[in-house]
Amino acid sequence: MSGEYLAFLALALVAITGGVLMLNLTKVVHMVIALVFTFISIAGLYVLLSAEFVAVVQVLIYSGAVTIMMLFGIMLTRHQEEEGEKTTTGGFWRKALTAIAVFAFGIAVYLGVYRLDFGEEGARLHENNTEQIGMALYSHYTIPFEIASVILLVALVGAIILAKKDDEGAPKS
Amino acid sequence: MMEIAWIVPLFPLFSFFFLLAVGKKMKETSAYVGILMTLLSFLLSLAVLFDRLGGSTYKAEHVWLTIGSVKLTAGFAVTALNAWMLVVVSLVSFLVHIYSKGYMHGDERFSVFYAYLGLFTFAMLGLVLSPNLLQTYVFWELVGLGSFLLIGFYFYKEEAKAAAKKAFIMTRIGDVGFFIGMILLFWQVGSFAYDDIFRAAEDGTLSQTMVTLTAILIFIGAVGKSGQFPLHTWLPDAMEGPTPVSALIHAATMVAAGVYLVAALFPLYEASETAMLTVAVVGGFTALFAATIGLVQTDIKRVLAYSTVSQLGYMMLALGSGSYVAGIFHLTTHAFFKALLFLAAGSVIHAVHTQDIEKMGGLWRKMPLTGPLFLIGTLAISGVPLFSGFFSKDEILVAAWTHGHVALFWIAVVTAFFTAFYMFRLFFLVFGGEKRHDEKDVHEAPAVMTLPMIVLAVLAVAAGYVHTPWFGTFLGDWLTDGAYAHETAPGWIMAVATAVSLLGIFLAWLMYGKRSLARDWLSSRVPYTYSLLWNKYYIDELYMRTVGYAATAISLLLSYIDRFVVEGIARLIAATVHTSASLGSRMQNGQVQMYGAVTFVGLALLVVILAFTGGYL
Amino acid sequence: MSSVSLSVYLVLALILFCIGLYGALTKRNTVIVLICIELMLNAVNINLVAFAKYGAHPGITGQIFALFTITVAAAEAAVGLAALMALYRNRKTVHIDEIDSLKH
Repeated sequence: MSGEYLAFLALALVAITGGVLMLNLTKVVHMVIALVFTFISIAGLYVLLSAEFVAVVQVLIYSGAVTIMMLFGIMLTRHQEEEGEKTTTGGFWRKALTAIAVFAFGIAVYLGVYRLDFGEEGARLHENNTEQIGMALYSHYTIPFEIASVILLVALVGAIILAKKDDEGAPKS
Repeated sequence: MMEIAWIVPLFPLFSFFFLLAVGKKMKETSAYVGILMTLLSFLLSLAVLFDRLGGSTYKAEHVWLTIGSVKLTAGFAVTALNAWMLVVVSLVSFLVHIYSKGYMHGDERFSVFYAYLGLFTFAMLGLVLSPNLLQTYVFWELVGLGSFLLIGFYFYKEEAKAAAKKAFIMTRIGDVGFFIGMILLFWQVGSFAYDDIFRAAEDGTLSQTMVTLTAILIFIGAVGKSGQFPLHTWLPDAMEGPTPVSALIHAATMVAAGVYLVAALFPLYEASETAMLTVAVVGGFTALFAATIGLVQTDIKRVLAYSTVSQLGYMMLALGSGSYVAGIFHLTTHAFFKALLFLAAGSVIHAVHTQDIEKMGGLWRKMPLTGPLFLIGTLAISGVPLFSGFFSKDEILVAAWTHGHVALFWIAVVTAFFTAFYMFRLFFLVFGGEKRHDEKDVHEAPAVMTLPMIVLAVLAVAAGYVHTPWFGTFLGDWLTDGAYAHETAPGWIMAVATAVSLLGIFLAWLMYGKRSLARDWLSSRVPYTYSLLWNKYYIDELYMRTVGYAATAISLLLSYIDRFVVEGIARLIAATVHTSASLGSRMQNGQVQMYGAVTFVGLALLVVILAFTGGYL
Repeated sequence: MSSVSLSVYLVLALILFCIGLYGALTKRNTVIVLICIELMLNAVNINLVAFAKYGAHPGITGQIFALFTITVAAAEAAVGLAALMALYRNRKTVHIDEIDSLKH
């Protein structure tokens, strides 16, 4: 049992625990916090997979930006939540059916992947990982990179327009 | 005139539709419509008959249906038999129409009665004009319908309702035989036309087995319609209908349709010994069987009904013995004297308001016209010399003898004896003796009722002379196109026939007229036989215990199957549709998650199927 | 040789994806639904990075893809949250089962 394997087991356990907690907790804020564990352990997994840069980005974007944004969203939309309010939708049958379908889907995919092994290993990925990414991104993937920046810009503008209070014109509901 | 013979049935049909449409307003004047129309029918029939006397067969056919290469024709034919039957039917129908005006007087549904009579007359006339089996079958069923409607005319009476149903169902059993026989013939011959069938039977296109089979199947139809054993039980019950109906349908015309059918298909029967023998045996047996029942019945119409069954058996016996002429001859004379008897019985019932002969008696003086008229009918049916029944019955006896059916001959003789006995028993009980009824004011029937009876009485005497061994066999010559050879019968047959009928009359007179013999001298000696006869050989009970119960059991079973299995399936389907509908509409709740869930469940299903079947479903 | 093989990562990603999917389909709070979608995207990212190391053609491309995915996911989260804000202003609710205008 190598150290890498132990590390993987621990990270995977934390990630899945975070997901399961997200499903089972009752308070919205707690759910988001639970997911932060998952996101961070996924970052750890990236390190195991020789993707240090992606791991850092993961921590920055997900654990930092997205989570904080979601918490802000929750706070801004907070209303008087009563104790014991339902956190899920649909009746028992619908949830059961969805669970069964998800489970069946998981089994089917599991059957497809659990023996998958190509036998190769990108052994050089961790050497100057950031440099490799930078080289690829600014040479081979320039155009997608630019397009991604355009998407971010559009998202920025769109988000501002959507979230802006439209007092003028439309009557207040 | 023969070209327009097809108009004959249209008059009563018009009467039917007309009375159906405006009869309610016309009340009893609707009788005149019916009478006028049947009179026109009768006159035209007479004209056709006279035309046919000198001419030859006229036949007109048109293509009615074309199915693939098969052409079904419809039309009419005026053969000697058809022309003769046309006159007999339209005449009796006309007289009954007149009679009914008096008999049905005051009935609420007077015009309906006349409408039904018109329908029946139309069907019967159409039946005798048909040139092919299919058309015959159509009218055959129409006749059955008319009979059903008229038996059930007093539908508020339970017995009448039951009798109508019984008549319909019993004859339907026979009709199935007729239908199968007809289809078999069509299958083999490729045509419904009588001529084609006869040709096929003659030149061997039809195998011997097939001829026998189809002939017997069609005979089953005739058995049902003509009330032959074992399908006879409906006919006595049919007496629940109004008496003119009994006279017209259940004595003179419709029940003779079976005899007519066998006669019309006579060449087919002649081609098969077995079929002929079957007809003769069934006829002979029925004749004796019904006559014995008639000996003890006490309902005036039932006695006449059993006598009708018995006489129809005679006709079948004649046909089965190869004497086509004798059968038709007896059919004709029987139509007249039996119609007369029924009308006279109706007149009696009309006067004393009961049908039980034990409660009649002493009517001879009170009914100076009906009495003698009834006597004439009784003499005719008993076969007393010089009356029509004598000649026709003699003809049948001769046919049975010369054809070699010795046993059947003696059965016929015994039946003749019984016939004479029970008819005179009836006569003496009704008209002789002292009064046993409580009706104060017994009066003779009105002229509209006696007049048709008088006409029929004249015919009951005179009709015999169209075909006698003494003065010439006109009817036979004409019906067979001159080929009729009257077999020189032994003279003793006539003597025997006369003797037995006189003996029967004498015995009846001893027991019921003079009363020198106690009425129960015989019945007390053979009580079991008496109760057997009184209960009509328990045939009805037998049918009830076997067929009736079996049918009830099967119906119950089927009703349970229907209730639980069929309806269960229907409910299941409905519930399935309903459930899936409500499920489907519940899914359309506008929530994105619901849509997502449904979509994903579908996707998961596909993925699972793909994973486990490798994509080859 | 590492004892952690490709399939183990894939199975972990599958489990996380299923958790995210189930949450997205059943959670009542729209914010949680959005974050569940983020979780699903993360599971995809694990796959991409795992393939980058253990795939048929190991290389940096998988990581680049993961980066793009993260970028787009961030943009999606921002827009989604903005839409949620607008919706909340109008309907005064973040409960997804009370938003059923699709029915009408």
